[in-house]
Amino acid sequence: MITGTVTSVYGKDINTDDIIPASFLQLSTERAFFAENAFCKYDPEFKKRCRQSNMNIVVAKENFGCGSSREQAVYALKENGVVCVIAESYPDIFYRNSLSNGLVLITVEDASGFVMGDALQVDLDSSTIQNVTKGESTYFEMKAEDRNTFQQGGMIGRVRRHLEEILLQQAEK
Amino acid sequence: MGQTMAEKIVSRQAGREVYAHDKLERLPITKLFFNDVIGPPAIKGFQEDFTDVFENCGKPPQVFDPKRIFFTPDHSVPTFAIPIAEGIDSMSEFAAKHGIRMYKEGDGIEHVVLIEDGHIVPWDIVLGTDSHTDTNGALGTLAFGVGTTDALYAMATGHLYDFVVPESIKFELTGTLPKGVYSKDIILHIIGRMGAGGCSKRVAEFAGPGLHSLTMDARTTMCNMAVEMSARTGIMAYDDVLADFLKDRAQWPVDPIDSDPDAEYADVMQIDLSDLEPTVAFPHKPANTTPISRVQEMIERSQREPTPDFCTVNDDTITNAFLGSCTNARYEDLVAGAAIMRGHKVHPNVNLIVIPSSRKVYERAMDEGILQVFVKAGANIESSNCGPCFGSHMGVMSGKGKMISSSNRNYQGRMGSPDARIFLASPATVIASAIEGRLADPRKYLD
Repeated sequence: MITGTVTSVYGKDINTDDIIPASFLQLSTERAFFAENAFCKYDPEFKKRCRQSNMNIVVAKENFGCGSSREQAVYALKENGVVCVIAESYPDIFYRNSLSNGLVLITVEDASGFVMGDALQVDLDSSTIQNVTKGESTYFEMKAEDRNTFQQGGMIGRVRRHLEEILLQQAEK
Repeated sequence: MGQTMAEKIVSRQAGREVYAHDKLERLPITKLFFNDVIGPPAIKGFQEDFTDVFENCGKPPQVFDPKRIFFTPDHSVPTFAIPIAEGIDSMSEFAAKHGIRMYKEGDGIEHVVLIEDGHIVPWDIVLGTDSHTDTNGALGTLAFGVGTTDALYAMATGHLYDFVVPESIKFELTGTLPKGVYSKDIILHIIGRMGAGGCSKRVAEFAGPGLHSLTMDARTTMCNMAVEMSARTGIMAYDDVLADFLKDRAQWPVDPIDSDPDAEYADVMQIDLSDLEPTVAFPHKPANTTPISRVQEMIERSQREPTPDFCTVNDDTITNAFLGSCTNARYEDLVAGAAIMRGHKVHPNVNLIVIPSSRKVYERAMDEGILQVFVKAGANIESSNCGPCFGSHMGVMSGKGKMISSSNRNYQGRMGSPDARIFLASPATVIASAIEGRLADPRKYLD
């Protein structure tokens, strides 16, 4: 169960340049570094709002995270205490990058019911968002394998086992 | 049942017949490349995530296949900051240790040099750490931009995990392009019709008799921008144009590919090339397109109903122009720009930057006197790199900047200040505009 507060609400087609501009990408390989400059051009107040809570939820319309494949965009969100994004759709690269890092992405048909300040409880097991502020409940669809990956914080365990398998096969040859 | 190219390529690599929506826990890939933005964190991740696995198996750390991996420092070169130079050092050291081909700074942009050097061939499954990896689809490959994690996992095991076979949308091109209209205008027109998210989760397959008239330089421009309508990637079939291109170039066996006539598509769109005009995308989205003849109407609309995606544009004047990037800085793009530039000067209010997309393109343009045309007209020529399109170290604009660019993205703040304005267009339109200091139709220079 993810319990958090909606601290950012965006429209459609938010791109990863908006989330973290290019000029910061190569200045560090530490994930925490990217928190500082998240949304610094598109929404300079983002960081400040995220400081009010350590369980932030971002809400957006369609196509959240489009554009550049920079995974630093996921770090910029996570390192600001974003625990979950609720949007109407995501393009593939950002979705995969979020899966890899256990940033939970929820897809809903209409995100307009979630507004700034709403306290939400997101339950992956029952696929429901409980809006505590409004007393409403929303069901969402999520593939079982994606739910697993989100809950495990990524697929690293499986990849390590696969690599081991490959190395052992090589040793047998 | 007939298959799309995407379905065929996945089927061959997976060793079983698959169709859209089928799920693969592991998809073997055939080519993988890293730029200077993602290479350094990926190397660090590779070491952190897998060193103990290699140790436990009694093996030194190794990549899945060094011949299939390439390092291309192209985004922020020549370097301008110590951490970037350190990142490129880490790539050089890793490449030397593992036998990976590392290109030099200035050799060119990833989506240009690997194709140029014959490393990309039909049926490849290409992963690159850049969203414009879709460019490689013009060679009949399935090419995906990926993040750091997917790429470093693939570097270790040669696989992409949890892959769902995508549907395809077919864009059927008929007719031929009028004079002064280029493949950039086709793809801008398509993105304008589809919208920023219009091709999401689907492969954009470009086909039809109109495609046949387009050269490989022109085709790569189109696949490059498939991601700007959120396509999973772009793809084009093998034909005699591609066959000629690969002859004496391909470093790997070449096998023709096309979709089956009875393949199923999520949608089909017809585009008659002879109807198209030079096209311009307005700030801040590549989907905000207009034919050049209707720029004034677009300006008025931007003032009447601006949105965060479609900002107010005061007039058609520009201050900056960029002919470069993985979209449009190949040999033919420079030729098209020079044809407009010859006999004219860059407007006194405009800073024009020209960056050939690879060292080979640079040398050929120099040998043939093309670079001289730009230099004598007052342009700045830079060594091959991503340039102003990456917005970090070269041609970065203030809030007063108004740029027309041959690149692929005009997002807010992409090339500097969030108050700057970026327009996208073909190389010819960029140069015509650089001459006039305003958004200009290139066709009048071609009579």
